[in-house]
Amino acid sequence: MADIKAGHLVAKYLKEVEKIDTVFGISGGHIESMLDGFTEYSIRTIDVRHEQAAAMMAHAYSVYTGRPGVCFLTAGPGFTNGLTGIANAYMDNVPLVVLCGRHPLRDDLKGALQEMNQIDMVKPITKWAATCYDARRIPEYMAIAFRNAATGRPGPVFLELPPDILNITIPMESAPMPAKATRNYAVVPADEELTAAADIINNAKQPLFLGGTGVGFSSCSDCLGAFVEKTGIPFMLLNYGRGELPDTHPLSIWDCGNVGLLVTLGQADVIVAAGLRFNWLFMSGDVIPAAAKVVRIDIDPREIDRNRKADAGLVGDIGSVLGRLLPLVEKKDRGEWVRTLRAASYSFIDSELKARLMASDPIHPIRLVAKIQEVVGEDALYVVDGGDTSYFGQVGLFTKQKAGVIGSASGLLGCLGTGIPFGIAAKLARPDTPVVVLNGDGSFGFNSMEFDTMVRHNIPVVVVVNNDCAWGMIKHSQEMSIGGERLQCAELGTRRYDLMVEGLGGHGEFVTKDEEIVPALRRALASGKPACVNVMTDPTVTSPATPLFYQSLKME
Amino acid sequence: MKLSLLLFILYRKLKRAVRVNRDYRSHIGMVRLKILIKTANGKRGRLFIFDRGTLSTRTGGGHQSDAALVWSDASTGFRVMASGSDEESFRAAAEGKLRVEGMAYYIQWFTDGIKLVMK
Repeated sequence: MADIKAGHLVAKYLKEVEKIDTVFGISGGHIESMLDGFTEYSIRTIDVRHEQAAAMMAHAYSVYTGRPGVCFLTAGPGFTNGLTGIANAYMDNVPLVVLCGRHPLRDDLKGALQEMNQIDMVKPITKWAATCYDARRIPEYMAIAFRNAATGRPGPVFLELPPDILNITIPMESAPMPAKATRNYAVVPADEELTAAADIINNAKQPLFLGGTGVGFSSCSDCLGAFVEKTGIPFMLLNYGRGELPDTHPLSIWDCGNVGLLVTLGQADVIVAAGLRFNWLFMSGDVIPAAAKVVRIDIDPREIDRNRKADAGLVGDIGSVLGRLLPLVEKKDRGEWVRTLRAASYSFIDSELKARLMASDPIHPIRLVAKIQEVVGEDALYVVDGGDTSYFGQVGLFTKQKAGVIGSASGLLGCLGTGIPFGIAAKLARPDTPVVVLNGDGSFGFNSMEFDTMVRHNIPVVVVVNNDCAWGMIKHSQEMSIGGERLQCAELGTRRYDLMVEGLGGHGEFVTKDEEIVPALRRALASGKPACVNVMTDPTVTSPATPLFYQSLKME
Repeated sequence: MKLSLLLFILYRKLKRAVRVNRDYRSHIGMVRLKILIKTANGKRGRLFIFDRGTLSTRTGGGHQSDAALVWSDASTGFRVMASGSDEESFRAAAEGKLRVEGMAYYIQWFTDGIKLVMK
């Protein structure tokens, strides 16, 4: 039997057991043997310009592929740079496998280069974190890492690999590969809870289905479609659940937007919430009327009664639960309820609907979004990153694609800067689908050097900057709280981000007038290059998300 | 006429709440907003001006505002507003008798304040 460099074992496991095709990271001396393993086993590496972007890309790659994403970090600053991305995956319940170098075990306590206690730092933001001390156990540790990332409520895991084990050669047979890749095992809800849930749903007059990230990772479009079509329940799919059924489905109420959702929630008598947390965006459950009955479905039993006692709690994978619920629910036509909530919602967003249709000077952000939708269409992947920008993008963009509209900064971490990394991952996962990132100008700044990554790897994503020359949500929030004359750290200047991208080898467009939007977008898409369409928009416009944000932090 | 009277009484109640109701004062905080309630033809209406903890008003439906609650007619506006019912508002909106101009969230904020005062 041949010998193998232990660093190559990492790549061998990724390729042969988990069928991982792409990994994200930055090179480093501590992990060189692993990098060489990627070459040996033909794993595509996307080498980025900041490790947080690597973690974010791997995070997003798992969203778009349904399999754990993998990133590699070198020791020290490579590790600390990656922490924001890891924390984001933790808050978003996304399976992410982080492979990290560290200082040599041999040099512990000797002042080694980049000597630090990484494990204790990363533990609070991972499901599992460990150091492997034995080269022969690398496949076993990798299997544990993937199992922890993917099973139950998903999340990031962290495996630290010292050079003492990566850089030695061992007999291949001393480190056998597991026979099977990681797989999920079914968790089944209790029969009495299924019956209770079906009774509640069958007796509902004005029900609403809300699906979250658990819906997306369940990949349950068939079951979900059958469920909503049989019960006639209008639905909204949020977070990474969005697109599991098309936004254009007749029972989807995305056309009513977030305002419509809040209006409808106030009138619903039954809420079915699947794979969705009642967090601050739902005012920790307070937006749900006290009289409404709540059916919760979640892979994690701790979520069932969190922030709102459930009237029926179904623990399990969303698709599996809906499949069991389906025979128990009655076929209903709730067309009247759907028409009513839709008409009411439209009355509340009347101005927004009109602003989409009318040219404006300066350009209204929702008008920009409407033009993007007009040019790029429903068969695209959209990523939306920013404050107010996130609101306008998420209510104004519609697709038929799974995970078609992702508010990458709209998770619990509110992690601005995720848009470009997510866009890159989207294009890598689905290269034949157009990918457009709608970025605020503030959030654009965090990872815009990843245009260099896109140019080097030929990843033609179009990034549209909704440029209001400010941290808009913060600015408008400060206007409400401390007054417009005392703005602090809220304003940015007029910047030619398009020229910056051209300097990196991409395509740039600068837009100041309504009639320029469509031609600029068309040229950007046709360029075949990573492109930045820098659009100057109305700095006075704010979104409903801003007062919500402001109110959530008001303490007196 | 009844709608105009109702809006005037509402203003007086809110104005008093600004002085004596701690929760309401906290609710309006330092916000600067103009909320207009009016009929679609603009003949009836009242503007509520919130300016850093103060409240003032103007009569009439022709004012500029950050958000406006627009009733199809005065009698519907009176009936639904006097009921204080979210469900009635929802039904009115669904029937095209009520719409919001500007940001719906500001109207929600305004009506949340009314609920604080009325409870």
